[in-house]
Amino acid sequence: MSAYATIAFDAAKCDGCGKCMSACSIQKVGADDTARSRIQIGGSADAGFELALCRQCGDPRCVAVCPAGALSKDGASGVIGWDATKCVDCLLCTVGCAYAGIALDAEAGHVAKCDMCAGAPACVPACPTGALRHVTTARIYNEVGHWEDLFAPGLAGCQGCNTELLMRHTLRRAGPDTVLATPPGCVPGMGSVGFNGTTGTKVPVFHPLLTNTAAMLAGIKRQYERKGREVLAMAIAGDGGASDVGFQSLSGAAERNERIFFMVVDNEGYMNTGMQRSSCTPYGAWTSTTPVGVGKGPAGMPSQGKTQDAKNLPLIMVNHRCEYVATASTAYMEDLYDKLDKAIAASKRGFAYLHVYSPCTTGWRFPTDQNMEVARKAVETNFVTLWEYTPQEGLSFTRRIDQPLPVTEYLKAMGRFRHLSNDQISHIQSKVVENLAFVKQLAQVAKV
Amino acid sequence: MSTATLEKPAAAKPKVILAEGNEAAALGVALARPDMVAVYPITPQSSLVEHVAKLIADGKMDADIVDAEGEHSVLSVLQGAALAGGRTYTATCGPGLAFMFEPYFRTSGMRLPMVMTIVTRDGITPQSVWGGHQDAMTVREVGWIQIYCESVQEVLDTTIMAFKIAEHHDVMLPVNVCLDGNYLSYGASRVELPPQAEVDAFMGDKDVNWHVALDPSRPMAVDPLTGGSGGKGPSTFVRYRKGQCKGMQNALAVIEEVHEEWAQRFGRRFAPLVEEYRLDDADYAIMTLGSMSGAAKDAVDAARDAGRKVGLIKLKTFSPFPVVALQKALAKVKALGVVDRSVGFRWNCGPMYQETMGALYRLGRFIPSMSFIGGLAGADITEAHFQRVIAETEALLTNPAPTEPVWLNEKD
Repeated sequence: MSAYATIAFDAAKCDGCGKCMSACSIQKVGADDTARSRIQIGGSADAGFELALCRQCGDPRCVAVCPAGALSKDGASGVIGWDATKCVDCLLCTVGCAYAGIALDAEAGHVAKCDMCAGAPACVPACPTGALRHVTTARIYNEVGHWEDLFAPGLAGCQGCNTELLMRHTLRRAGPDTVLATPPGCVPGMGSVGFNGTTGTKVPVFHPLLTNTAAMLAGIKRQYERKGREVLAMAIAGDGGASDVGFQSLSGAAERNERIFFMVVDNEGYMNTGMQRSSCTPYGAWTSTTPVGVGKGPAGMPSQGKTQDAKNLPLIMVNHRCEYVATASTAYMEDLYDKLDKAIAASKRGFAYLHVYSPCTTGWRFPTDQNMEVARKAVETNFVTLWEYTPQEGLSFTRRIDQPLPVTEYLKAMGRFRHLSNDQISHIQSKVVENLAFVKQLAQVAKV
Repeated sequence: MSTATLEKPAAAKPKVILAEGNEAAALGVALARPDMVAVYPITPQSSLVEHVAKLIADGKMDADIVDAEGEHSVLSVLQGAALAGGRTYTATCGPGLAFMFEPYFRTSGMRLPMVMTIVTRDGITPQSVWGGHQDAMTVREVGWIQIYCESVQEVLDTTIMAFKIAEHHDVMLPVNVCLDGNYLSYGASRVELPPQAEVDAFMGDKDVNWHVALDPSRPMAVDPLTGGSGGKGPSTFVRYRKGQCKGMQNALAVIEEVHEEWAQRFGRRFAPLVEEYRLDDADYAIMTLGSMSGAAKDAVDAARDAGRKVGLIKLKTFSPFPVVALQKALAKVKALGVVDRSVGFRWNCGPMYQETMGALYRLGRFIPSMSFIGGLAGADITEAHFQRVIAETEALLTNPAPTEPVWLNEKD
């Protein structure tokens, strides 16, 4: 079942001003008459506001109950359309809808419902608080749903693994003319290269060493260039191999501007080997080698998680002046796909690097259904910033968070930060501010 | 002194030049037409890769060159290129070889037919930049074929032959051509350059990734996790390892065939595995490896002139260890002195001595023997040193063998 564009409502931002209803009625009936608006805001400031609006459901009950065939879902837009010539005014549809998304317009004498204003809903720009958003993320799923998943079903990732989701989307986008490197870690650990003669991938795939991924890909790419064949040489690598022991080959390949696409799945540690610390592990985080105890940790500091801040690998890659560098998150798939497109295109000209933050339910200690929520909170608190860089355009944010949540909203979502003292939390919050200021500075410089 | 003997003139007249060993190796590489060369400089290899870079820059060699950021990546780039179907080459030594050990081990396991010159250098520490076999000897158990050269001409010829040996379908293993740092790398001598067309005919078609490839037109998973105690794991892993050993053993015959073909085509014949020098009527023998063999042969000639019945056994192929060919030579003598240019720390003797003892044991015949260690860290092993080796080996015929090795340069 496909999903489609829709209008999203954030009740916390709604102040009940009614401007959306005015805009709708003006658009649809030519008069500011909120009673005839097809979007209805109910409730109160005290009890909270609620939305009554057609969801353009994937499996619409209104369509199912209509005895006259007057309602139908458009396959291309997803909009449920109403046909006046067929409607018998029985109103069964209004009973069938659980969202009050279709209702009798008494003045018109028949039902009326949202038709998404042909793709540009009038209500959304009229909302002064940002409570309404025209969400188009679903376009991605409609498009990629037809592309082949180039990983086999049944990879042995942990339950709720974000990395598996990311891998499948990435390789769908990359397509079959790809040679895929998956250095030791979670990605091959779940069976992408395979075990004893089996494989989990439908494109040529291999285990490089943890240390030489970028170098091996460079050799592959150059040999195909020599033969005049266009092949995408791509890595899906972990943060540990990329930022620690494999950093030399990564940096060397970037300096030589090898035409490869290097994607790092940053789950902030060596999760496949049992959740040990990497240089991408953030300050304060529990890992199996930065445990929480009553004794002393490094440099005599209390043993309360990692005592150093994370290495910012994507910014280091910016300083290699790569053809393309970006950060991404699976909580923002449209942004991710946009960056995949750009990275793959850039890898035809030079080194392309994409750093994707990938929450780890097992290693970060949060419930398996909370992956997207954790990923989203990381961005909403500015713990993770989403940006992209090219040598020509410099660095720019792709998703600016104007009113960031306090970092505690992110930290409290997982067990690895459970032990943090107030001092440690203050340190993390100050680093979030500092890191954001640094990236903003780079973005400003780019504009000059 | 070269062991080459003129068999018959090649079809076209060869060009004759004066070249150092490093330049000869580079010229041999160019004649073998690799697709990709990756380089990182290290003494005493540097001038070799400089020559290769210049040949490419001057349009005399059609290969892609990668100036990698270290030896680890050098070998890794080449592994990628080989898996994509390229003929590949590099050179290194000493600390560079140590640094690339991780991909080095893997090259033979993936059966990639690569050629890498080791311009041999002693191990550090003590800090040293001079020749010695310690680097190549340290990695002798990693599944690479290792062939040692005696002369500059042999360096050039063997470099070309190495590609053919590596890519032989019965072998499919990487080859180290070992040339002695300082003594061969910088030693200049007369070298005949075989004509390119003749070399092309000798090499035949390139086919390096028929068995394992990273190619979207025939997708496969390269190096899935293999082994463990369950299912087909143990037997699968054994098949890989046994295959490597089989390839190594096959290489013995292939190395002989390729040398024979070389002699037929180019008129220069080198002993492919084991060279026997004045051995047939010898009572005892000294054994050598690499460039030291020239001075050793001079010392044997002088001793022969003095009426002493000494012969010489030189190994050219060290890995796979040519057990049968060596036993054939050992069967002719009653005492043996083995000269190593490196140290075997575990057995308190030279590594070649230790390996030779293994071959001798299988022969089921005891002969008294002793280990000499010389030429470490660039030290010269002169004819005078070999006179001592001959004298002390001769003494084994009557006196008990010493248990300690003789350190030839100890009092130099």
